[in-house]
Amino acid sequence: MIAIKTKKLTKKYKDKVAVNKIDLTIKQGELFALLGVNGAGKTTIIKMLSGLILPTSGEIIIEKMNMKKEVFKIKEILNVSPQETAIAPNLTVKENLEFMAGVYQIEEKDNKISELIKQFKLEEVLNKKAKTLSGGWQRRVSIAISLINDPKILFLDEPTLGLDVIARKELWKVINSLKGIITIILTTHYMEEAESLSDRIGIISNGNLVEVGTSKELIKKTKTKSFEDAFVSIATGGEL
Amino acid sequence: MRMLNFARRNFKELIRDPLSLVFEIVLPIFLLFIFQQFNIPAENYKLENFTPSIILFGFSFITLFTATLIAKDRTSSFLIRLGTSPMKSSDYILGYILSLLPIVLIQNVLFFLAAIIMGLEFSISIIPTILVSMIISIFFVSLGILIGSLVSEKGTGGLGSIVVQLVCFTSGMYFPKDSIGGVFELICNILPFEACLNIIQGTLHKNFSNLTPVHIIVFLIYFIAVLLLSIIVFKKRMISDNK
Repeated sequence: MIAIKTKKLTKKYKDKVAVNKIDLTIKQGELFALLGVNGAGKTTIIKMLSGLILPTSGEIIIEKMNMKKEVFKIKEILNVSPQETAIAPNLTVKENLEFMAGVYQIEEKDNKISELIKQFKLEEVLNKKAKTLSGGWQRRVSIAISLINDPKILFLDEPTLGLDVIARKELWKVINSLKGIITIILTTHYMEEAESLSDRIGIISNGNLVEVGTSKELIKKTKTKSFEDAFVSIATGGEL
Repeated sequence: MRMLNFARRNFKELIRDPLSLVFEIVLPIFLLFIFQQFNIPAENYKLENFTPSIILFGFSFITLFTATLIAKDRTSSFLIRLGTSPMKSSDYILGYILSLLPIVLIQNVLFFLAAIIMGLEFSISIIPTILVSMIISIFFVSLGILIGSLVSEKGTGGLGSIVVQLVCFTSGMYFPKDSIGGVFELICNILPFEACLNIIQGTLHKNFSNLTPVHIIVFLIYFIAVLLLSIIVFKKRMISDNK
């Protein structure tokens, strides 16, 4: 079953083409990583796929629904953990979870909140104001919040950026536990993260989707020794 | 109701900011108290006139802190997260407005309590005055939404301060406009703050002799224009911030 399908997805800003005619198909339960250098167009693609900005042209189909016609229905079944930590600073961790449960009108919100507290081991910070937490904890809360509506599709925009190695490994464990259950679209600058977590990887360069495949397929295709070398080769068009 | 859920969150954010409480409630009450100690022999400073002035003064800080909250939300990725949720524009705007109304009510009740303790005679007209001032406060909240949508968190401090100064000097709170006259009087006539003060004072005194049709028209034009502009600009900024 297909979770996400784009047809010639394009975003232009005046003369600049940020995303250029991207055709992408992501299966249900797949963890798909989007890689690219800074400014390649990854975040713009996520913003379009999550209904935050409108494409200039092209089509987005999510779980058989057309983004243009059923944007609010689509928004019910997806969630996003943005690049920067997106939590209400003066609210406690529990209040943040309750607030987002209210945003998605979760019926059995107490059960769902308890489940997330347990899953993300949030007990010790539950009554602390979000702004007093360390970056690692804030990121963990931010990702916990993004699961409040049991999304069918989850966008993780550089989820481990700025985290120490232990916090990163802990988040990997959580992300791994979601694989197969939720369709996850992940952007990252860490090659080992993409290689370790994802089922398939799409490489974006100058707004174009230049390659899609598993890490092994991409290494084989570029005749390189590591995935990092494969990425560099693809992203630079073989110049490096 | 998503709107009420959002309003609850905004209310908590605002009342947990000690600076907002100091400027919105403590400072106006302090001003009311201090000016009563001076015993200034002018009509403006009599408790029945100065209490409505203090209400309006408090509203100018409502504008400032609404603007700051919105600017913070915009820059913190918080609105990106909400932008991908099923919340609609009306949920945001009404959520911001509704969150401020309990604060306005608390302000009004405390200002009148303080004024009564200082010697203001209790009158039943205090109740309609509070209701009328809550309607006027929507204009100040909308102005805050507009400023917060237009500028960064740093910029809200500057623009918010201008609103505070304009309320102080053009509303007739400290001195009547005709004591200066000329261009200053014209500016007072063009801006909505004198009209706001006259409406609140008139309701408290049950006497609208100071309120002219021009005042009502000026207030209504600003009220409607700022409310509509705040909705349009907020919606546009929600999109442009995320381009």
